[in-house]
Amino acid sequence: MVVLACRNPRVATAVALAFGVCEEVVLGSIVWMLHTRGVLVSGTYLRADGLTAVFILNLGLVFVLVLVYAAGYLRHLPSERFSSPRWFYALLYLFLFTMLGAYLSANLGLLWIVMEGTTLASALLVGFYNTEGAVEAGWKYLVVCTVGLAFALFGTIVLYLAAVKAGIPQTAALDWASLNELAPKLVHSRELVKLAFVFLLIGYGTKVGFVPMHLWLPDAHAEAPTPISAMLSAGLLNCAMYALLRYDSIVSRATLSSFSHHLLLAFGAASLVIPGLLMLVQRDLKRLLAYSSVEHMGIIATGIGLGGALGLYGALLHTFNHSVAKSLLFFSAGSVRENMGTLRMDRIAGLSRLLPWTSSGLVLGGLAIVGLPPFSLFVSEFAILNEAFSQAKFLVATVVLGTLTLVFGAFAFHFMRMIAGDPHQPAFASGSKTSPLEFAVMGVCTACLITFGLWVPTGFQSLLRHAVEVVQR
Amino acid sequence: MPVAHLAAVKALNSAAVLLFLTLLLLAAAKRLSTIIVLFAVQSAVLAADVMAVAYVHRIPEAYAIAALVFLTKVIGIPYALLKLLKRLQVSRQAGSTVSSALSVSITTGLIVLAFSAVHTYLGGLQVGEEGLAAAIALILCGAFLMVSRSKAIMQIMGLLVLENGIFLAALTTTFGMPLIIEIGVAFDLVMGVFLMGIFMFRIRDTFEDLDISKLRRLRG
Repeated sequence: MVVLACRNPRVATAVALAFGVCEEVVLGSIVWMLHTRGVLVSGTYLRADGLTAVFILNLGLVFVLVLVYAAGYLRHLPSERFSSPRWFYALLYLFLFTMLGAYLSANLGLLWIVMEGTTLASALLVGFYNTEGAVEAGWKYLVVCTVGLAFALFGTIVLYLAAVKAGIPQTAALDWASLNELAPKLVHSRELVKLAFVFLLIGYGTKVGFVPMHLWLPDAHAEAPTPISAMLSAGLLNCAMYALLRYDSIVSRATLSSFSHHLLLAFGAASLVIPGLLMLVQRDLKRLLAYSSVEHMGIIATGIGLGGALGLYGALLHTFNHSVAKSLLFFSAGSVRENMGTLRMDRIAGLSRLLPWTSSGLVLGGLAIVGLPPFSLFVSEFAILNEAFSQAKFLVATVVLGTLTLVFGAFAFHFMRMIAGDPHQPAFASGSKTSPLEFAVMGVCTACLITFGLWVPTGFQSLLRHAVEVVQR
Repeated sequence: MPVAHLAAVKALNSAAVLLFLTLLLLAAAKRLSTIIVLFAVQSAVLAADVMAVAYVHRIPEAYAIAALVFLTKVIGIPYALLKLLKRLQVSRQAGSTVSSALSVSITTGLIVLAFSAVHTYLGGLQVGEEGLAAAIALILCGAFLMVSRSKAIMQIMGLLVLENGIFLAALTTTFGMPLIIEIGVAFDLVMGVFLMGIFMFRIRDTFEDLDISKLRRLRG
């Protein structure tokens, strides 16, 4: 709100960055407290535990990267109604606020309210540029996600009904912690719980981007301003996945069967194969990256669907790794857009000569996102595959491996076309337009990816283990 | 008071039928202002239903929920939408891609489907069957409205009808969710409509029309 008051774009940026620092300190302290104390409760509606810690750490990192990147990227933005830098930062903070609310909510009803809030907060950000494509993408995003979340609301209501029928007192029937503990009592209303989970999976799955509810995702991620694309891919998808994790925990304890896990595996598989195939025929760089996000959400869903300590560990680690890698890729794409003016991959060639640093960002990000060592995504994907093989679910493992190969082919094809070869235009006379802030952020991402690929820090490992314990049956 | 009790019982009994009536009228309506007024009537029926439930089952919270529904969905949102229509200055036609008679038939079919679904699958719940059937019918017909009309504002109306259905489902099964949650949901709905209004201005400015079949640029 304070940012809105600043009319001068540069002052707004400075204020936004200052707030960003404060925000990071707060988030860092929350994570630290969770690390030492375990569970934090504040009133009846806010609660944080081990699972929250992992996701908040993730969000905090992505947010600070996006903020710094945006400071460099938005210098050329014209000021219109709802489209000036100060609106950008104000909406960005609102978006962050809603996502944090989702992570911190103890009540499932509040979770729904805040998730709808994320849609509302980010809709204006998606349609930020007033172009035809952006407006269409923003409208589609708003409508599809609201409908999806309406289904999720229905699922929440059915779960509430199931809980009340099973004798859980009304005040506790929407509280996640109580539901998790009392879940065995829900066995009596097993059918209702299954129905609830189907609706919840479809509803929150719309926000995650599972196939076939993913139709809003490529448009929204492609037409939004690059920092927002990164925030959506790296932040919002994880948020929705977090909601699904919470519900999966309750439902799998309640139904004493693998119903929820089978559904997650099914959606995960669909979300792996279809984007993998579609990636081969993409023409726009950011759309390619958007489909890659859907595919990685499929991998995470597979990890959760497999269950088991290693599968969950891999899935949670993957949410983090994917955020970092996807941010790197989007930041590089933004740099390409700034300098070349277009994101159509068939019109770009010879990037390695025109924009050496950017193209190295693209290459490293591309190698990371397809899961090659020494980058961190290899570790998390390997963990998930390990779990698949140890549970003898060979079909699942085959689907994952097949898709990864397909994705590697797609990325190699598209990126080689853009990076190698002779440029269509002479080298930039005045140097590239990318600000050093953007490069700094890309560097941080790369460092993170390589570090985590070689050795996951012990502190983070214990955070992950606590989180797994929270969800584990 | 006997009169109040009589009114409450009457309201509870006839709510479902009134809702079906509004659904059929919505399917047949041709002008946007008619549709918005019909939505207001539908929400008024829902508000009366909530009040009747509050009276009969003696739940004081439900009175607050009824007031909330009345303020937002009967007065607030329809008024805002009508003003939006005036400011957007577009044609008043509801732009249906399916003929009027056919959409009424389809709506009737959806209502029958809702009844049969409730009867076979959810009959064991021992709640008012017609209330739940009305809820599911609202959801299905809201979805149908969204896909069969080509004007942007019709998508919003379909969405609102769908949310009405979900609200009714919550009402008939558990007599509403905790008050805070209901307030939050209503707030989200109002903000959602507000944002969609902003987007409609943008659509009109960039596309020169509110016909969403023109929004076909992004494919694949």
